[in-house]
Amino acid sequence: MKKKRGALYYLKRDFWLYLCVLPVIVYYVVFKYLPMAGIVMAFQDYNIFKGVLGSKFVGLENFVKIWKSQQFWNSVRNTLVLNLATLAASFPLTIALALMLNELRAVKFKRVSQSLLYLPHFISWVVVAGIAQNMFNMSNGTVNKVLESIGGGPVPFLSNNGWWIFTYILCNIWKEIGWGTIIYLAALTGVDESLYEAAYLDGATRIQRIRYITLPMIKSVAVTMLILNVSSMMSIGLDAPLLLGNTKVMAISEVISTYVYRLGIEKAQYDLATAIGLFQSLVNIIILVIVDRIAKCMGEEGIL
Amino acid sequence: MTRKKKKMSAAETLLYVIVTLIVVICIYPFLNVLACSVSGKAAVLGGKVTFYPIDFQLDAYREIFKQQSVWLSMQVTCVVTLSGTMLGLALTIAAAYALSKEKLKGRKIISGFMLFTMYFGGGIIPTFIVVRGLGMYDTYAALVVPSAMSVFNFIVMRTFFRELPKELEEAALIDGAGDMKVLFQIALPLSVPIIATIGLFYAVGYWNDYFSSLIYIQSAEKFSLQLRLRQMLFANELNQASMAAEGMGTQAMSESLKMATVVFATLPIILVYPWLQKYFVKGVMLGSVKG
Repeated sequence: MKKKRGALYYLKRDFWLYLCVLPVIVYYVVFKYLPMAGIVMAFQDYNIFKGVLGSKFVGLENFVKIWKSQQFWNSVRNTLVLNLATLAASFPLTIALALMLNELRAVKFKRVSQSLLYLPHFISWVVVAGIAQNMFNMSNGTVNKVLESIGGGPVPFLSNNGWWIFTYILCNIWKEIGWGTIIYLAALTGVDESLYEAAYLDGATRIQRIRYITLPMIKSVAVTMLILNVSSMMSIGLDAPLLLGNTKVMAISEVISTYVYRLGIEKAQYDLATAIGLFQSLVNIIILVIVDRIAKCMGEEGIL
Repeated sequence: MTRKKKKMSAAETLLYVIVTLIVVICIYPFLNVLACSVSGKAAVLGGKVTFYPIDFQLDAYREIFKQQSVWLSMQVTCVVTLSGTMLGLALTIAAAYALSKEKLKGRKIISGFMLFTMYFGGGIIPTFIVVRGLGMYDTYAALVVPSAMSVFNFIVMRTFFRELPKELEEAALIDGAGDMKVLFQIALPLSVPIIATIGLFYAVGYWNDYFSSLIYIQSAEKFSLQLRLRQMLFANELNQASMAAEGMGTQAMSESLKMATVVFATLPIILVYPWLQKYFVKGVMLGSVKG
């Protein structure tokens, strides 16, 4: 018969293990959960000197203010446009690149290509923005010089709204496409070689083998990646838009994260910025749940 | 049969050509920056530099060695990266090891407590206020501690510990070793590849970080290298009109200088990369297994 033991017994038995977890719990409480409590600012007329405890509650006033703000809706639109455009371009390209890498038979060539393709992932956005400025500059950028030499006019890659979106997507793809293939290649290492051999003996062409063996193998990974990407439609990294953006393309480069940064840190309007952050988190969670449901209805595994 | 074989190899060749092209496009920007940083002023300004230097010279690098602020930032970033990586690894290993033990009561609740923060968080501003409230504003601690641990790395590490062979551990336990002895003498020596991977992730995160510096640091002598670099790149954009007035020479010089600083800020990553990259693919695969 199993004896029921008190919490104290386990605490004593696994004392060292609990001690290991303790600093991590403290870390999460202080740097993750305490800020969550700070969300009450979104419902306050926050006063820096009175603090969270002393400030007056104003209900949903901050949300009403945001709702009426044209700048806020612009940032929402820009976030969605940039995220959707990047996803539409990078999702199929990543899968295509993974399929190509998977078809390579020369082991050494494959390994070297992969190493070089992963490298941009580790480069900071500051550096990427610096490189982009150097290459896509209107007056002396390499790309425009090349275009000029073949008779094209200088293209305002960084100073025209439409072209800026293009440059933004290009930089994102350049940075992350190689890294993105890892997860697909990982899924493909599990494929039984004998499947390919059997298909080959049956006279299947390369395209047919990809179509009927490789693609089904990565389908569930692709769906998961799609769910993850779609469910974070409302959040966008601050780095790329802030660093690639400039005053000329502010109308398109101002996204939610950069807007929160400018409003909260630069203008010290903590309550409004927090309200926007909360709104964004809630929308993200709602989309995540919906997309997950849809995926499950379609017979996929989902992620929740 | 022979015809078919020939056709296959044509497709194969095409595949290799395409992949080679993609790889070339991928590394071209690096070569361009490197070439620009060691090229003559006129060539850089004229946009003539592609992937090899024109009028080779090292003036920009000599200039960097004279820039006190760049060296200062380099030191800040080195200190922050080293201490941050150590702290991150220590926290991650400790938590992942303890929570990988099935006997530990409450491990699911604690894991859930951590995982929840992946989906919901306070956001920039409340975090900023907490960090400032702790008295960390304008200190190195603000650059290190708030971003010390990532849930993703924790999941990778925990998955790895779970998959370690149980026999070794049981044998040690029978010999009277405690959990901590098992961690240091059995689990850690077996986890060198995964520790290298996660260490790389943390180190790169700290090395590339400019945002913490941007919001938490006020004194210029505590700026991280990336923030300094951003200022150099950004200042030029702001002052382009005045630069042109000063004459082309100044602008071209600072253009090479910018690129030299970019090289300077990227070099450490490119140097450690080949040594660690054989490990990290496995790490990412472990992380992709559902937490």
